[in-house]
Amino acid sequence: MSKPKIATTWLEACAGCHMSFLDIDEKIVDLLAQVELTSTPITDIKEIPEVEVGVISGALGNEEEAHIARKMREKCKILIAWGDCAVFGGINCLRNFMEKDAVLQEAYTNTVSTVNPEGIIPGEELPKLLHHAIPIDHQVKVDVYVPGCPPDPETILYVFQEILQGRIPKVPVDMMRYD
Amino acid sequence: MSEINLIIDGKECKGASGDTILQVAQKNDVYIPTLCYLKGLTPIGSCRMCVVEVEGNAKLLTSCTTPAQDGMVVNTKTQKLFNYRKQILELLFAGRNHFCMFCSQSGDCELQTLAIEHGMDSVRYPYLYHDFENDATSEDLQMDHNRCILCGRCIRVCAEKVGAHTLDLEKRGWSANIITDLGSKLGDSETCVHCGACAQVCPTGTITIRDFVYRGRRNDCDDVVESICPLCSLGCEIKGYVRTGSLTRVEGSNLEGPDGGQLCHKGRWWLPESTERERLSVPMIREGSTFREASWEEALGLAASKMKDACQKGKAGAIVSGLSTDEELSVFHSVFKDTLDLKYFDCFIGDILRGFKKGFEPFVEQGVKPFTAAHNITSSDLVLILDADPQDEVPVTASYIRVNTIINGGKLANISSATNPFKGITDVDIKVSPEKMFNVITALVKAVSENEPIEVSGVDKTALEELAGMLKEANRPVFIFGGNFASDAKAVTQATNLAIASGSIFEDGLGIVPMVRHANSLAAINTVVGEEPWIGKADIDCLYVSSTGLIPEDSQSLEAMSMARFCIIHTPYMVHPLVNMADVLIPSPAWYERSGHFCTIEGERRKLNTMVKPQLNLKGLGEIFSTLTEKMGVKLNRSEVQPCENIFNSTVPADKACQVAVEEV
Repeated sequence: MSKPKIATTWLEACAGCHMSFLDIDEKIVDLLAQVELTSTPITDIKEIPEVEVGVISGALGNEEEAHIARKMREKCKILIAWGDCAVFGGINCLRNFMEKDAVLQEAYTNTVSTVNPEGIIPGEELPKLLHHAIPIDHQVKVDVYVPGCPPDPETILYVFQEILQGRIPKVPVDMMRYD
Repeated sequence: MSEINLIIDGKECKGASGDTILQVAQKNDVYIPTLCYLKGLTPIGSCRMCVVEVEGNAKLLTSCTTPAQDGMVVNTKTQKLFNYRKQILELLFAGRNHFCMFCSQSGDCELQTLAIEHGMDSVRYPYLYHDFENDATSEDLQMDHNRCILCGRCIRVCAEKVGAHTLDLEKRGWSANIITDLGSKLGDSETCVHCGACAQVCPTGTITIRDFVYRGRRNDCDDVVESICPLCSLGCEIKGYVRTGSLTRVEGSNLEGPDGGQLCHKGRWWLPESTERERLSVPMIREGSTFREASWEEALGLAASKMKDACQKGKAGAIVSGLSTDEELSVFHSVFKDTLDLKYFDCFIGDILRGFKKGFEPFVEQGVKPFTAAHNITSSDLVLILDADPQDEVPVTASYIRVNTIINGGKLANISSATNPFKGITDVDIKVSPEKMFNVITALVKAVSENEPIEVSGVDKTALEELAGMLKEANRPVFIFGGNFASDAKAVTQATNLAIASGSIFEDGLGIVPMVRHANSLAAINTVVGEEPWIGKADIDCLYVSSTGLIPEDSQSLEAMSMARFCIIHTPYMVHPLVNMADVLIPSPAWYERSGHFCTIEGERRKLNTMVKPQLNLKGLGEIFSTLTEKMGVKLNRSEVQPCENIFNSTVPADKACQVAVEEV
């Protein structure tokens, strides 16, 4: 029997969750003996194939991200939400206290580090912003939630191992964290 | 109170009638999660975390507000309750900004702890994203309403314990919000006393103390040490959080005590700051306008020779800190009284303490204790303030006074030469010039004990008559003697007569609370305070000064130091202007490195514990003074008398106290 396949993606978030995944260190060798990493930011394969386990880190802030999340859901049997952004919306939700247009205005003209004397706001080049940055379960059904900013490497590994044992895990209380 | 028996989670639990279900559970080690509940504050049952099922009752009941009844069968851990509690937590998270990753309180947050405890791995409800204000106007505190869960602990502690009632609730439903005064910013509040109690009880990251955030969460600290605050004579019990040799935060620990675990603006901020100050690490000797480092041998040798010469001429003096422990005061007493027999030996603000000492003397001779535990203020039906500013002198007593007046319904009267410190809540306020103070008290004594008509020229007659009437009617009046007031010993005696005449009798002594600022003033009165004032008057060749460096020295003592020809200063910190006065600087351990006892005006001896191990090469008082006296060629006499043991003793109950005659001025 071929090894179960895993795909991961990194939407509106920092790279922290994937860094934490790599932080399982040498245990990644044992894990790779049991699973196959397909499309991930680590392997840099863009097209998501049919997989057993799909992982999303990051919230949904624009239509492209929402599209990728739906795609991931279609292609996988078990969907994991990695990290506070995917689970709760996380730091991206800071923008939810402003109107969409004000967010673009702020990002492309007002910030101190921006040089944009003509005040041009990108239009069609950018995927359309959603009204709010949202946790992924507002768009797709999630099977396993792994909160944490980022989740500990041990927790990420624990979730994979449980799935390999044929169980859909819940993160135990002593492993759960929100920061 | 009769005993009641309940079955909680199948366990037989005993409680007292009048207990709530939660209290019985806690007494019997049954855990019920709580959020808005805090020991010592009135339970309000608003957060619903503590809901339990009581057999025979279809409703879920909040255990913090439901009285326990004999025979009740209570379940606290059913799946239904767990689900409800989890749901409440999710709703709280969805209500406002509870994203932990950028909150300074993450890891210390009770909301977060409960959510994790309930396995909350996602929130099933849409978030509101309603933008609340982040009030950053206060220098000391930050209040981010976006993180508020409306538990109301801050409101209750501010009203019930501090008596300031700065905070309350405005609006309804999901617009409900904590409000300062009538809508002002926290930084502009006229009622806030900057005690930080609200931040101490806040279960989330809403109210935070700027100085404490990001200095180490409670959970990350190396050590938590119980001790007392050494700043004033109340000696509030504290918990100090220590991390890498630094005090990262202090909290009041006596939650169920009369002070409700509050601290004042001094204790909350000055104590942690004191671990960050520049230390005096080695002995130093003056060289022109600056200092050079010296060995202990050299520094103590120089000090000894100057002290010896001055002693021979009768021109040696010593001023020690009223923040010294009982043990330290004993050493000072044995050196400067029993061994060197100095004429000039005193404490900082000695004149005020002398006023109390002499004023109380006739009553102490009767065997009566002329003061009562400060918290008895809260059970008094009339508090009379005599030229005191409690919020400045002994701040938590000001909380007692406010609580007693606003919440307990006691009356409040003020006689002062300055502004009324409790403007707006006093029933009678009488303005009296300092020179008329004694006459006013004398007139009141006569009016209360002999029903004489009361009249003092230039003083509001109606107010005096009203006050005399209040004093006659009162059952448990308490008198607050201010430091200003005590500079006249006769006024202290006469006011004590007034207390006796008004029947101000408490179980532990007369109903007087002296505003002695320095932590161990009561013990200092018994040990180091001399008979006659000399500071700033006497001609001194060599002056020894011991200062804890915690509170600024008074100008009179500083003047005496600058007038002395040679000044030995023994202090932990390089604080100015103190060190400017020194010819020899001798380092001492800071308060958090010392231990010992304080005689507090709460009527008990409380223990100061070492919080941080001394990191410098310091020597203790005992060692320093044996070397010093040896170099002076005198034998150190250690008196066997414990200077503080008599302070709280009385041989005669307060109701047997007699008035004493005071010469009219």
